[in-house]
Amino acid sequence: MMQRKFKHGLTVIALAGTALFAPPAQAQGSDTLVIARSMDVNSLDPARAFCDTCQFYLTAVYETLVTLSADNETLVPNLAESWEVNADFTEFTFHLKDATFADGSPVEASDVVWSILRLKNLKGSPSFLMDGLVSAEATDAKTVVFKLDAPSSEFLNKISASYAGVVNAELAEANGATAGDDAAETDKAEPWFLANSAGSGPYKLASYAPDAELRMAGNTDYYGDAPKFSEIVVTQIQDAVSQAQALETGQADIAMQIDPDTARSIRSQDVVTEIVPSYNFVYIGFIPGAKGMADVITPEVRQALALAIDYDGMLDFTVGGNGKKQAAPIPNGFPGTAGLIPREQDVAKAKEMLEAAGATNLKLVAGYPNDNVYGVDFNIMMQKVQQDFAAVGVELELKPLTWAVWRDELGSGEWPITAIYYAPDYYGSAQYVQYFGMIEGFPWAGRAGLGHPELVVNPAEAGLYQQALASSGEDAEMLYTQLGEEMMKDAIILPLVSPNLVLAYRSDIEGVRYSACCNLPLAEISRK
Amino acid sequence: MADITPAVTAAPAPRRGRQLRRLSRRLPLTAKIGAAILLFWILTVLTVQFWPLADPLAMVGRRLQPPSAAHWLGTDALGRDVFSRTLHGSIWSIPIAIVVVACAVSIGSFLGAISGFFGGWWDTIIMRLVDVTVAFPPILLAMAVAAMLGPGLANASIAMVIVWWPIYARLMRAQVLEVKEREHVEAAVAGGAGGLRVLRVHVLPLCWTPTLINATMDFGQVVLLAASLSFIGLGATPPSPEWGSMISEGATRFYDWWIAFGPGMAILSVVLATSFLGDGLRDLFDRRSA
Repeated sequence: MMQRKFKHGLTVIALAGTALFAPPAQAQGSDTLVIARSMDVNSLDPARAFCDTCQFYLTAVYETLVTLSADNETLVPNLAESWEVNADFTEFTFHLKDATFADGSPVEASDVVWSILRLKNLKGSPSFLMDGLVSAEATDAKTVVFKLDAPSSEFLNKISASYAGVVNAELAEANGATAGDDAAETDKAEPWFLANSAGSGPYKLASYAPDAELRMAGNTDYYGDAPKFSEIVVTQIQDAVSQAQALETGQADIAMQIDPDTARSIRSQDVVTEIVPSYNFVYIGFIPGAKGMADVITPEVRQALALAIDYDGMLDFTVGGNGKKQAAPIPNGFPGTAGLIPREQDVAKAKEMLEAAGATNLKLVAGYPNDNVYGVDFNIMMQKVQQDFAAVGVELELKPLTWAVWRDELGSGEWPITAIYYAPDYYGSAQYVQYFGMIEGFPWAGRAGLGHPELVVNPAEAGLYQQALASSGEDAEMLYTQLGEEMMKDAIILPLVSPNLVLAYRSDIEGVRYSACCNLPLAEISRK
Repeated sequence: MADITPAVTAAPAPRRGRQLRRLSRRLPLTAKIGAAILLFWILTVLTVQFWPLADPLAMVGRRLQPPSAAHWLGTDALGRDVFSRTLHGSIWSIPIAIVVVACAVSIGSFLGAISGFFGGWWDTIIMRLVDVTVAFPPILLAMAVAAMLGPGLANASIAMVIVWWPIYARLMRAQVLEVKEREHVEAAVAGGAGGLRVLRVHVLPLCWTPTLINATMDFGQVVLLAASLSFIGLGATPPSPEWGSMISEGATRFYDWWIAFGPGMAILSVVLATSFLGDGLRDLFDRRSA
């Protein structure tokens, strides 16, 4: 009896406790959306920014001419209500709809021209998107014509990248921004963009404190549907576990970097987790141009090492099976990837090839950033590579590095193997050829060759790439498949895993989705 | 007469044995436990290769399995046995701590003794160097040095010696300053003994106690600092089962608690053991500060 009474007493206390603490510890009012993520902001200036956080910030604050629909493939009107493309993909005409910037001034063709020329001329990280642009002209207040020096069937897709957002030219110029040919030297607006914004989107920048928080305020004068929150706060929470805790306690409404393993551990009924395929991937890259490696990392050795890797095991060890294998450095689902078959492990053949190449007792070093990206812990991933290489008699020494040291040593060719990741900037396969193709002057050809392009350049790729840019539809897909096959033959870039993405949010939030151009389209999110 | 001589010459050995026994009787229980734990870890370092344990670097089961009879502390993200890795981790942590403390004690004591005994310019130069080094928080200085030299346990050890030697320099200098004023030293100097000989024969033997006590206590701190450096990626490189890097792996998988539990307990036991033992030794030898 006593014991039962005691139990009753406990129940009463427990009930009283829940009554006291029952309302979820919502740190912010319901009119505020709180997003937890580890921010990687390098700049908030559309023409200088180049980061995952930038993608969704810029999408909420600035608007592009066209954008990617929810199917992640089709382009739909945004600031442009219609557009025309000439037959050989060198001239693009956009007709603007009536829209206004946050300060009330209208979005005009001159703003579009100014923004796109600034993106090109600033020579910032995203400027490569406008490579090949020879002219941008406003033929009237609502019409813009872009001309390219060579065909590019993907120009439309590039213009959907968040970095091509349209900026209020007058406002930005008043604060030091320039768009001329010498913009790289004369533009002084970067600090201004860290505290202000000049876009036409449903949100505007309220404040930004590096490594702490990024605050956006609803644009009350927005010309379209009113923004669904008066404020969006992106709060810096470093790791997946802390993000999950913030989500469970109601401190955050959305957590952006939860890995599948952590998602499994979330018990709260108020949290929804969805696992969706992503277009991100992690890969190892060979650098034959590294010190003393020209005769070591030969194409045969690279092929052999590519066969040594246990791709299924890799998928299991890095993301617990929550991902996909990927054949070439073009993400699954992008044009041309349907016909590509991922490599399979073949230890016997790898050993045979190494022996035939005379590469016995091979000792290699891998330098990579000591980081955890898209749920993949690089240390775990590289230890798996180390084990797989050991199985074919290749000793791999691992050097996990800080980002700064990694960049330094990459450029000086300290080691022949590295590991890194890539996320798309828009929907289209050309960006991958443009980045990973073994074509002279392209980023990874430079990284791998380090001043000796003859070690890595694949003569077949340049021609195929030009053809691909000049064609569209099935023809383009076929050419990208061939390019993918060529890049697999190069065996410079070995994609290891394309991790799935976890969308994790409180159950009263809706409209959360993953976008290939824009990461997380904030404008579509609302509270039920 | 002839039969007495051997007895006299043999006397010191039993006497020293008795002394040790007496000392060990006076050692508090906590210090004995500390000594036992340390002895266990040292034995582990020496013999762990021969133990019937799973290979610490090989995948032996499914990944992220909780503790079970087959894997006492579960498996990590690569399916390696955490229990085996924890015990093998001592091969990295303990010898490093021994080397770092030994280097720091030798360098620090040597410079401290010179500085205290000879004074003047020697003193000024060495002590200012000590001041500069001590002005930085140890972890920060160690991080800076390790980051500059690149990751790796050897570099981390160098960083830790740089952080640690000034403590011993100060300690030794203070002792030497005190002892060199004593009458027997003055007598030796008056007797015409050279400076270095006076320092070696008449001063240093009386100065070691605080250094030894401090070194014992620091042993655990060095293990902790080495683990901290590995935790932030500046110490051991994968796949070595160093305790700090194992905890770092576990920290990203918070809910799979067993990954960090083994190495965490190992560090805890070493740090506690050395601090117990150090306390006990201080009670025994250094009455004043007790």
